[in-house]
Amino acid sequence: MTNTATDTRQLMTDDEMASFVINGYHIVKPELPTGFNQEVYDELKALPSNPGDGIYEAVPKLKQVYESPEMHGALTSMLGPGYQMFPHRHCHRNAPGTPSQQIHQDNLNDLRIRDGQVRAPDKVELVLAMYYPQDVASNMGPTVVLPGTHMLKAMPDRMASQGNFKQQYTATVNAGSVVILHYDIWHAGSANTSDTVRYMLKFLFQRANLPDVPSWQHDSENNANIRQRLESESPMTLQRSLNAKQRHMRLRMWNYLTGSERLDMSYRDKWQGPWR
Amino acid sequence: MPKLQRLLYISAESTNPQSPALSAAIYEPVADAVTQLDPTSSALPYDSVHAAIIDGWRLIQAPDQWAGIADEAAGDVIGYQFILEKMQDYDAQ
Repeated sequence: MTNTATDTRQLMTDDEMASFVINGYHIVKPELPTGFNQEVYDELKALPSNPGDGIYEAVPKLKQVYESPEMHGALTSMLGPGYQMFPHRHCHRNAPGTPSQQIHQDNLNDLRIRDGQVRAPDKVELVLAMYYPQDVASNMGPTVVLPGTHMLKAMPDRMASQGNFKQQYTATVNAGSVVILHYDIWHAGSANTSDTVRYMLKFLFQRANLPDVPSWQHDSENNANIRQRLESESPMTLQRSLNAKQRHMRLRMWNYLTGSERLDMSYRDKWQGPWR
Repeated sequence: MPKLQRLLYISAESTNPQSPALSAAIYEPVADAVTQLDPTSSALPYDSVHAAIIDGWRLIQAPDQWAGIADEAAGDVIGYQFILEKMQDYDAQ
């Protein structure tokens, strides 16, 4: 599927894009008819087996989510016009008693991914769009995300002993929410200790064209504020060496996304002024 | 009642045991005990390795300052891992 027409009102703002670059995730709430999410939940529950990549055809209502103006605006902002839905999809069925996954990055063992088997810590080439057709409480196996880790390269086996992270983001969201993640972000499905099945539909979208200009509601008047945010915000405390790497990658990512309208990165004296 | 070993893994912001904890997990010496991500609990058991030591945990392994340096291109690990223990009376399993 290729998308072209865009309702510019649904495009992300500079601040929303900066937050996505910093955090590695963004939440979209498509306008859906009353009862829609429950209907999707019931259809998923009635599936006799996992349709795998065929989930989009097995539950055609999902098109209303993934082709909604809200999703189209967010995906166009992140991936540029003409982005494509990737042929791999997955319906995650997290049943009561399901244990937690290890924190991980999704793998790259799919040769259909544009440009192949490489991470993109300073680009946005591929995103995961996770739709939840039911409210997700903290005991229902919500997706856990480590904000800002899309700039890093995970080694899940080495980190398996770490347990909870102090500033992890837990996707306890309302039914109908779509959490869009940079493909490289570290995340995990957590344990479902409730008595309710939690569904999450994972779809992938990829960029079709290199960015030449910003594909969101960009105003260069915001550049100073954006640069300040990219250089200073910490969505999750890391060791100092990783913080420096993360901030460097953020600036590169922003300048990759803005194409010809990149930030002026020339030296500026950040310390002159009142003592602090 | 046997004394059994409880384990506490804390990954800290630096090799300094007083630096802030970034992640933590407790492993209980109980059959079928599972330690995993727990989104129902947002707080870590201790704010630092130092705070855990004050509460009676004993350090049994400190992070290797040189670990990973030659291997930086291979990947990233968040925090510097300290391992602590506490011997505690436990009823029969």
